[in-house]
Amino acid sequence: MTRPATARWSLFLFVLPALAVYLLFAVVPLFSSIVMSFFDTDGEAGNLFVGLSNYVYLFTQPVVSARFWNALANSAKYFAVHVIVEVPIGLLLAALLTSGVLRRSEGVYRTLLFIPATLSVVIVGFIWRLIINPLWGLVGFPLLGNPSTALTTISLMSVWQYVGIPMVFLYSALLAVPNDLVEASRLDGASPWRIFWDIKFPLIVPQFGLIVILTFIWTFNGFDLVFALNGSAPGPNYSTDILGTFFYRSFFGSSGQVADLDIGATVATVIFTIMLLVTGGYFWLVQRRLRAHMV
Amino acid sequence: MRWKPARTTLAILALGVSIASIATAAMAEPVTLTLGSWRTEDLAIWQDQVLPAFEASHPDIKVEFAPVNTNEYNAAIQSQIEGGTGPDLITCRPFDVNNEWIGRGYFASLDGLAGLANFTDTAKAAWTVDGATYCVPVAAVLAGFFYNIDIFNELGLTPPTTAAEFTTVLQKIQDSGKYTPLAEGSSESWQLAYNGLYSIGPAYWKGEEGRLGLIDGTKKLTDPDFVAAFAAFQAWKPFLPSGQEALSYSDMTQLFTLGRAAILPDGSWNINQVTSTGLNVGVFGPPAVEAGGQRYLQEMPDMAIGINAASAKQDAAKVFLDWVSGPEFQQIYVNSAPGFFAMSNQAVTYDNPLAQHFADLKTGALLTPRLALDRLSAGTPPLDDEIWRQLQVMMTSDTTPETVTGELQTGLASWYGPQQAK
Repeated sequence: MTRPATARWSLFLFVLPALAVYLLFAVVPLFSSIVMSFFDTDGEAGNLFVGLSNYVYLFTQPVVSARFWNALANSAKYFAVHVIVEVPIGLLLAALLTSGVLRRSEGVYRTLLFIPATLSVVIVGFIWRLIINPLWGLVGFPLLGNPSTALTTISLMSVWQYVGIPMVFLYSALLAVPNDLVEASRLDGASPWRIFWDIKFPLIVPQFGLIVILTFIWTFNGFDLVFALNGSAPGPNYSTDILGTFFYRSFFGSSGQVADLDIGATVATVIFTIMLLVTGGYFWLVQRRLRAHMV
Repeated sequence: MRWKPARTTLAILALGVSIASIATAAMAEPVTLTLGSWRTEDLAIWQDQVLPAFEASHPDIKVEFAPVNTNEYNAAIQSQIEGGTGPDLITCRPFDVNNEWIGRGYFASLDGLAGLANFTDTAKAAWTVDGATYCVPVAAVLAGFFYNIDIFNELGLTPPTTAAEFTTVLQKIQDSGKYTPLAEGSSESWQLAYNGLYSIGPAYWKGEEGRLGLIDGTKKLTDPDFVAAFAAFQAWKPFLPSGQEALSYSDMTQLFTLGRAAILPDGSWNINQVTSTGLNVGVFGPPAVEAGGQRYLQEMPDMAIGINAASAKQDAAKVFLDWVSGPEFQQIYVNSAPGFFAMSNQAVTYDNPLAQHFADLKTGALLTPRLALDRLSAGTPPLDDEIWRQLQVMMTSDTTPETVTGELQTGLASWYGPQQAK
């Protein structure tokens, strides 16, 4: 059936408000910041096209580039902790929730485990800061004061907060697994372990891949928890500085660092490019080959 | 139609009201000055105390206090002045930001303002370029050591005056086993510099002599005086609470106000906090290096007021600034905002006893601002930020003062001209 022209127009009209807001507040700023990264806007001469020199500065100025690579490495570490800890725990919780062993308390657990994700990061940071405070808290070791443990500690706080997200994501995927397959394998004598790994998991692999790449996007965009705990020059010795805080410091300045909008825009563009390449590469190389087994 | 006449009446009424308001504005005699500031928390002080006092003696001038948020202040003033809508009076940031503003021609000259004679050159340094001062100093903050008088009495201690005595006092508190000697943590690196090194350091690098030496390139951070200052700060390590690496500024203040630590290296702005629990608190200044040696005190210029060069009310603005430089204003302001101190050389008395003790520390001491905020932080890497970071490294690892000062000097010399020539 073909739609009449008026219906097609009204479809466009329905989308228009959301599209306009999205264009105005997401797409336009994105492109203007990319454009800005090729200009020197705060010099004597006003707006001056400088080509790639902002990028050259970012990658060659010894102090700035060292901070940038440090922040990139820390972001990678931040992501790694999430993938290694948060996603598997989320999968485990989702598997337990759908296994039937919890019976009627399933809803209670689902809610309880998801609640932290709805809390403000400022609250989460404050609570954890008190819990691990060497003076008043449970742990005598200065976890946040040691460069080798600080970033992992903050990552684990974030994992605690957001573990509910992969959990509900994978939970809903697991609910969609047809019951007759599970029943059939059970009749064939498969153990719950075997049922999960040979029946259920292969059926949710595409969603599992998706949550991994979403975690990548969330962690590389990460900023708020680190900022809430350690400010815009996160120590000790920049060991908890991630791309988000590095960008914030460049664009908005910090106590001792003068804000430089052009360098900030350059950093933002570099972060955007990294995420675009990784996400694009993932969808191109991996996701399109993942097929849930057709039933 | 009923609505038409009603609307006409309304329009006529509105016209009448606006004409009336224009007329009153034209008839009103006093000149109104606007004062831009970042101290939103001072709104009540200015409106209820400072400005009524000024207007009482100057009925022909009215001043309107117009603060914006601290974090937005610099950007707001810059865009307002560039756009021609700046306030008549501008509150001046200390050092580099203000030097930039002076360079851009934001300020009218203060030549011939008699009140400027009330301030020493050191007090005016933060707002002076090439010998000309563009802002009248309003207030400074001081750094020193709050101490718990009851603990000192219990252990039979007196406030130390020399570095050796300071160590002895710390050791005795440590030996008592009941209290932590120093409430100090390394989680927030700014206060390691501002309340720690920049407080005890001037005694070693001889205050202004060392600071100006770094600025004109005749001194280096690797000189023995500076290394000795860093070493003296590192010597605090055994006297800090366990887990100090992760303790924040508020943790330190709490440790002290709960009576679990004897001494808190801090800034004067924290006066209200440390006495909030009714603790018996005294204050002593950074110790001299040797007995009978010169004492130094960190006096950090915080704010001043200058005149917008584009303002049409220069004369009235000068009258106001002359009043700001006098004792009446200073007396009102510093007593409304405890922790802030007058910078003029006229006697000002403080109602808050602890503030008065703090002010008394200035007697006989040479004053010096924070080490690295004047010119030394206007490039990449900014020296001040680097000192924060390196102090945190030094206090949380085994890094030596020699390594730290060496790296700081290399960083500074990488961009700061006067340090490169040598």
